[in-house]
Amino acid sequence: MRKLKLFLNFEKEETWLSEMATKGYEFVGKSFTYQFRPTEPENVNIRIDYRKFKSKEDFIDYITLFEDCGWKHIAGTKSSGTQYFKKVSESADVDIFSDSDSRAFRYKRLSKMYLSLAICYLPILIALFNNDHQYASALLNPKELYYTPGLWEKTGMDFWGAFLFETPFALFRGIVVFCFPIMVMLYFIFSIKADQNYKNSLK
Amino acid sequence: MKRDKNIPLTETVYYILLALLEPAHGYLILQKVEELSDGQVRMAAGTLYGAIDNLLKLKFIEPVPSEDSRRKVYVITETGKEMLQLDLERMKHMIRITEEAF
Repeated sequence: MRKLKLFLNFEKEETWLSEMATKGYEFVGKSFTYQFRPTEPENVNIRIDYRKFKSKEDFIDYITLFEDCGWKHIAGTKSSGTQYFKKVSESADVDIFSDSDSRAFRYKRLSKMYLSLAICYLPILIALFNNDHQYASALLNPKELYYTPGLWEKTGMDFWGAFLFETPFALFRGIVVFCFPIMVMLYFIFSIKADQNYKNSLK
Repeated sequence: MKRDKNIPLTETVYYILLALLEPAHGYLILQKVEELSDGQVRMAAGTLYGAIDNLLKLKFIEPVPSEDSRRKVYVITETGKEMLQLDLERMKHMIRITEEAF
């Protein structure tokens, strides 16, 4: 079974994954979606860290340390960021963090990642605005997404017929025009959200 | 004299540096820290990894070649030893003035 969900709060994500396990869905991996395998309902302890690695050796060293401590790495790659661990040893601690600073700091790393994504795309967005006048004016005046000549001068049934006919096409053009700025904006919002979570978990 | 901005060291950092007077990998550091602190300081994996990462950036510890291909081994640097020494002096001073006060 696959599920699509977006979390900016690691605690909520950990709780959700544990709840899925008690319902009999074992979390087995994450690519774009969360992948689950039906199994016996089970009480599990799943914890999430956020880290990217420069080299494969660093990544293996990291996973090995957690395994030594009784935590099995169940999902995440060298550069995926989110790393999922499941407690497998009775003697392991209840959490992968032993102080609130290090627990909070994973949010700082998440926030920085979203901020760098937003900053990466920002110059492209600015270039689009400056060089493509049709693009910029469509963004400020969505009426221009409609190409039917004289559409906005029409009235009554004439107008609605032509308007509704073209709306699907205009929407499609709109997605292309709006998706880029929305993406950049979302990255900024996610970055700020993650930073708020960082500050909240320090308290 | 102006004090180094890393002084005082946190309790965990102090114990990690002390443990790394001899080369050790991550899990061994955890065990040594627990032993050195009489079981008072127990660090979890994620916290220790973050602490090691930070100490590497500060150049208080450095990686050394290891026979174990899955586990990196670290040892304290000269800077790290200086920090331990500085923090030791600080604590000695605190102990002395506190004992005088009682």
